[in-house]
Amino acid sequence: MTDATTEMTGAGGPDPSAPAVELAGITKRFGGIVACDQVDLTLHRGRVHGILGENGAGKSTLMKVLIGLVLPDAGSIRIDGQPRTIHDPLAAAALGIAMVHQHFSLVDQLTVWENVALGEEGRLKSAGVRDRVAAISRQYGLEIDPDARVGDLTAGLRQRVEIIKCLRRDPHILVFDEPTSVLTPEESEQLFGTLREVVAAEDRAVVLVSHKLDEVLHATDEITIMRQGRVVDRRPTSDADARSLARAMVGREVSLRSERAAFGLAEIEEADREREAELQDQQPAQSLDTDGPVLRIEGVTVQGRGGARLLDDISLDLRAGEIVGVAGVEGNGQRVLGDLLSSLIPLDAGRVVVNDSEVRSGAPGAMAKAGIGVIPEDRHDSGVVLDMTVAENLLLVDPHRVARHGVMDKGQVIETAQQMIEEFDIGCSGPDAPLWSLSGGNQQRVVLARELAAEPDVLVAAQPTRGLDVGAIEYMTDRLRRTAVDGVAVLLISSELEEILDLSDRIVVMSRGRIVGELSHDDANLETLGLLMGGSEG
Amino acid sequence: MTRGVRAAEWVVLYALSIVVALAISSVIVEATGGDWWPVLEALVDGSIKAPGRWGETLGVAAPLLLVALGTVISAKAGLINIGQEGQLLMGAAFAVYFSFRIGGPGPLNVVLLLLFGALGGAVWASAAGLLRYWRGVPEVLSTLLLVFVAIQAVGYGLKWQWLLLADEASRGNRNLVSEQLAKNNRIPRPDIFGNEFPVTVYVALALALAVAYVLARTVWGFRLRMLGHNPRAAQRSGVSSTVYGATALAIGGAFAGLAGAAMFAGGGFSFGNYRLVPGFSDNIGWTGLLVALMARERALPAVVAAFVFAMLRTGAGFVNSTGVESRITDVVQGLLVLALLVPPAVVFLRDRRRARAAATERV
Repeated sequence: MTDATTEMTGAGGPDPSAPAVELAGITKRFGGIVACDQVDLTLHRGRVHGILGENGAGKSTLMKVLIGLVLPDAGSIRIDGQPRTIHDPLAAAALGIAMVHQHFSLVDQLTVWENVALGEEGRLKSAGVRDRVAAISRQYGLEIDPDARVGDLTAGLRQRVEIIKCLRRDPHILVFDEPTSVLTPEESEQLFGTLREVVAAEDRAVVLVSHKLDEVLHATDEITIMRQGRVVDRRPTSDADARSLARAMVGREVSLRSERAAFGLAEIEEADREREAELQDQQPAQSLDTDGPVLRIEGVTVQGRGGARLLDDISLDLRAGEIVGVAGVEGNGQRVLGDLLSSLIPLDAGRVVVNDSEVRSGAPGAMAKAGIGVIPEDRHDSGVVLDMTVAENLLLVDPHRVARHGVMDKGQVIETAQQMIEEFDIGCSGPDAPLWSLSGGNQQRVVLARELAAEPDVLVAAQPTRGLDVGAIEYMTDRLRRTAVDGVAVLLISSELEEILDLSDRIVVMSRGRIVGELSHDDANLETLGLLMGGSEG
Repeated sequence: MTRGVRAAEWVVLYALSIVVALAISSVIVEATGGDWWPVLEALVDGSIKAPGRWGETLGVAAPLLLVALGTVISAKAGLINIGQEGQLLMGAAFAVYFSFRIGGPGPLNVVLLLLFGALGGAVWASAAGLLRYWRGVPEVLSTLLLVFVAIQAVGYGLKWQWLLLADEASRGNRNLVSEQLAKNNRIPRPDIFGNEFPVTVYVALALALAVAYVLARTVWGFRLRMLGHNPRAAQRSGVSSTVYGATALAIGGAFAGLAGAAMFAGGGFSFGNYRLVPGFSDNIGWTGLLVALMARERALPAVVAAFVFAMLRTGAGFVNSTGVESRITDVVQGLLVLALLVPPAVVFLRDRRRARAAATERV
C-alpha cells in the first residue's frame, strides 16, 4: 500500500481532539515565483473553512499540497495530530482527504455510476455501485439518475457526480476548489446546502476555496485570506464583512496618478495630441466617425452546454481613442467575450455592431474583417500557429496583403515581416524562424504587431501582459496607450486590477457573465472594484 | 540543426532500419528452408535491373504518387483521409462508365476519361466531407468505411450491363468484368530505351511540383496549412473549416480517383489489362497512403517514396518465382515496408518532443 498507511501504524494513532489538518510553514516555489510562502492553515472537524484570494494568490497550490499533487519545498503537515508526508493523491485518499476539482475529471461517454466506479480496483459490481450512488444521493439530497450519461448532464449535475465520487470514499477532509465557477446561482445555493449537511451531520472538515466574497461570507465558519502566496488575514466569518474582505484580498491602494506619470505618459500624450490635430486638419471627415461608438455590444447572451449563460445580456459601447477595462475574476465570462470578438463562437441573443454595421457572430474571420483586432488571452489557442514561421504568423489574418492573384510574393513576405520585426523589436533569428522558437514575450509581440498592422478600429487585449517579464509588460502597456491615442478603441480584459486601473478611461466589472458595474477612471479604486468583482452588491 | 547534419541523419536512420529489416528477413527465409540471396537478387532484378523493369516500376509509381499527393493535401488541412483505396476504385469505375456509356470525341476521350476518374474519387471523398461537416462524423472513420461501400458498389455495377458490365460477346467466360478499353483510347506508352510506361508518369510528376508550389506559395495553401496546424487561429483569421476542409477532402479524393482512371487506361503491371474487374484497385490506395506517410506528408519527397514502394511491388513479382513460399515473401515485403516507415516516425516523435519541450520552457 501507500506510504501514508504504513506511517499510520507509527507512533500513537490519531488523536481525536487534534485539528483535522494542520499545515505549518508550507512553502512552494515554481522557478522564481513563490506560490506559497510560509503558509499556516488549521482545519477543524465540523466546520467549513473558506480560503479567499485572487487568481494566483496561492490557494490552489496550497490545496494541491494537501491532496498530494504538489510536494512542498518546506513545511509540515499533520493530519489528526500525526505528522504525515503526502507524496501523491493515493496517499491523500488513504488519509481520507478528497478534493472536488474546479475542472471535472469525468468521462463523458460513461454513465454516472460508471464514472463513480472509475478508479476502483478489483471486480466491478454494477448493482453495488448503483445502490451506493443512490444511497449517497438520497442522504445528501444530491438527486441524480445513476444511469444517465455524464455527457448529457448540465454542469451542476456533473459536479454532483464529482461530489458523489468523493463522498463514496467517505473522506474526513473534503476540499472544494472554486466549486461555483461553473454553476448557476440556484445550483450554487443547492451546493452550499449540501456542504452544510456534510459538515454538520458527519463531523467532516470542509474547505471552500473561492474568490467570491458573498459565497465565502454565506457558506463558511472561518476565513483565511491569501494574497501573493501569503496568508494576510484570518478571522471567524461572523467578524467579517464584504468591504474588509475585499480590501484584504486585493491589497493596498495604489497611487494611480503617480504611476501614470512614471510611465512617461504625459509626454506621449502631448506629442500625439499634436499629431492628432494635424490629422484632423487634413481629414475633417474623420472626426465625425469618432463621435459615435465604434463598437457596440448590445444585449449579448451566449449560452454554454446545458444552457448556462456564459454571457448574460451584456451591453457595452466603445468610442474611438478610449480604453475600456473589463475587470473581473477569471472565469466570469471574459474569455467568452474574447472568443466572441474573435469569431470563435456564435451568440445566442443580441448583436455586435462595428461602425454602425452588424457583424455576423461565429462566421470565420468576420470580426477581424469588420476591424476588430484581438490579442487573445491564450495566444497559443487562437493567436498564433506555433508550427509556422514568424513571417507566416505575421500574415495570418491578411495574407492577401503580400499576394497577387492568390500567389504570395516571397520577397514581399520577407520584407514585410522584416519591417514588423524591426518596428516591434521582435527577438527572433529571422522571418523564417518557427514561432515556437520564440520566447513568450516575443510571441506576444508577433501577435501585437500583426493585429496593429491590420489597422483595426477596435483592439481587444485580453490579459495582454500575463506571463511577461517587467520589461515586456512595460512595452505592452505603452503600446496599448499609444494605440488608443492613435484613435483605436481599446477593450482591455484583465484580471490584474492594477493594470486595469492604470490604463483604463472607463472600467466595467464582470461577474457570472454579467456586467455588474461601470465606473469612470476617477471613481474606481481597488476596494470598489474588489467588491463588485466578488459579486457583492454592497 | 544544419541541413547537412539532417540529411546525414536521414541516411543513417534509413540504412539502419533497412539493414535490420533485411537481417530479419534473411533469418526468416533461411529458417523456412529458402535461400536468402536469390530472394534479394530477384527483388533488385524485378524492380530495376532486368530489361524493361524501370518502365514497369515507373508505371506503378505514378498512381502511388497521385494517391499520395491527395493524401498530402487532406493531411495539410488536418484531415485524416484513409479511404484512398475506395476513392481510387470509384475513380476507375467513373472512368469506365464514361468510356463505354458516354464517350467523348476522339483524342479528347483520354483526357475526359481521366477527369471523370478524378470526379469519381472526389464524389466519394465528398461523401465523407459531407458527413464530417454536416453531422460531425470523424473523417477517419467515414473514409475508411466508404472503402468497403465502394467495393460493394463497384461489384454491383459490374453485374449490370447498363452500368459497367461488358456485353456477352466481349465478356468471354468471365462474370464480373467491364469491356476492354479500345487501343486508340488508351494512354500512350512510348518506349524509352527499352522501357515502356504511360505518359501519366509525367502528369504525376508535374502534379507533384504543382502541389508543392500551391501549398508553399499560394494564399490558398497558406490558409489550408493554417487550418491544419491551428483550427481556432484559422477560424479567427477567416478560414472556414467547412469550406477549406471539404475542398481538401474532395481534392484528395480527386487525386485517388485520377490514379484509378490512370491505372485503367494506362495499362502495365497487373492493373486489369484495360478492364475493370473486382479487386482492380490492388492495394494501390493503401500503399499510396504509406507513401505519403514515408514522405511525411510533403509533395516532393513523395516522388522518391512512391518510386521506392513501386520497386517493392515490381520486385516482389520476381521474388515469387524463386520458389520461396509466397507467405514468406509477403512477410519480407512487410518488413521492408516497416523499415521505410520507421525513420519518419522516429523523426516525427523526436521533433514533437523537442517542440513541446521548447514550448513549455518558454511559456
